[in-house]
Amino acid sequence: MALSLEKVAPGAGHLGEWYWYFSQTEKQPLQSDRTEIENLIARVAMKDRVAFDQLYDRVSAKLFGVCLRVLNKRAAAEDAMQDTFVKIWKNADRYSANGLSPMTWLITIARNTSIDRLRARKKGHQDIDTPGFELVAPGLNPEQAVVASSEASRLSGCLDTLEENRAKAIRGAYLDGETYADLADRFGVPLNTMRTWLRRGLIALRECMSQ
Amino acid sequence: MTEQTDTPRDDDVLAAELVLGVASEKDLLEGRRRMATDSEFASRVVFWQERLSAMTDDINPVKPPARVKKKLLAQVFPKTCVSVLQRVWLWQGVSMVSVLFAGYLGVQLLEMNTRPDAQPTVLAAQLGSDTSALQVLAVVEPVKHEIALRRISGEVLPNRVFELWAILPDQAPVSLGVLPDSETVRVLVPEALRSQAAEITLAISDEPIGGSPTGAPTGAVLAAGEMKEL
Repeated sequence: MALSLEKVAPGAGHLGEWYWYFSQTEKQPLQSDRTEIENLIARVAMKDRVAFDQLYDRVSAKLFGVCLRVLNKRAAAEDAMQDTFVKIWKNADRYSANGLSPMTWLITIARNTSIDRLRARKKGHQDIDTPGFELVAPGLNPEQAVVASSEASRLSGCLDTLEENRAKAIRGAYLDGETYADLADRFGVPLNTMRTWLRRGLIALRECMSQ
Repeated sequence: MTEQTDTPRDDDVLAAELVLGVASEKDLLEGRRRMATDSEFASRVVFWQERLSAMTDDINPVKPPARVKKKLLAQVFPKTCVSVLQRVWLWQGVSMVSVLFAGYLGVQLLEMNTRPDAQPTVLAAQLGSDTSALQVLAVVEPVKHEIALRRISGEVLPNRVFELWAILPDQAPVSLGVLPDSETVRVLVPEALRSQAAEITLAISDEPIGGSPTGAPTGAVLAAGEMKEL
């Protein structure tokens, strides 16, 4: 038997029953990934929960990959990613003003959040959980892959032109959260020398990437 | 070579150090201040953020476990972390009528389920949000493919309308039409969505009269909820 709102909601009966029939909804115009993610962030800025849910589904695998790369421990990466999305929810309204591409903004939050956790861990107790089996999500779509690979090859191409230790130091700082003191320790050089290496590396990198 | 002299540094290098996270505490404070006040400096920071983030390009995406999303949503939207049934009973300030309504639907749907030609699952959703008073209960009537909606609280704004949307994972919202300003309505589930009804998230947005002019939600999403099996 069919549901009857009159029976279950006395007093609402006089409103009658309403039916909607649907015309074909228009197909959305194809949007680039960048625009799509930008739109989602703009809607999240307006506290749109559906958009937040969609943004999570869209970018969480990439951000989780970044958190895992930095923290190298699954439980810590899960916590870092949760913090990352809480920050995204709270700060999405600041995105439009900062001039970054949407993925850079999201990745930067994930990376910085992870590095803060990593540093907190180094100072205090040592976690004992180990990275588990990882399910790799589907890769980039072709358009993303082209853009990403051209930018990546440019940066990594430029990193390759640097002296090996300078490139390693830049990677260590960005991906492993190493400080000047950590790096000086790792390369067995005085702190000032380490600063000089890294700064020269950055200047050479800028010149290479600006070409 | 002047390897031993320290700090050959300009603004650009300071910006890069900030992005890398190797700047001293003093530089960090100074850098943050300048990012807010000096647009040239801020653009150098953006330059480095864009370029250096390319180091993450060859990091493969890793699908996070479902529990992370669950925990996140429970943290960000504290009200949404309980099941529909719990919500129906725990609803604060819920009117007796709506409790009866929910109970009645439950009984009706259970009856339907015991009949041999009935479909096995019954879906329901509670639509709500932290930011709006709008609360709507939705139950999918499985034989007629209708969604019965009952508005528990929330008023439509003057010269605006509520528009109902069905959202499947990774797809654009599909409009299910503008809702009338009444407490109860029924909406037919479009044929294309029926096989995936369990995955639908329903959402209600604030739209100009006549509904969204673009075919996608244009106003704030006032209430949303995922389908759950009852």
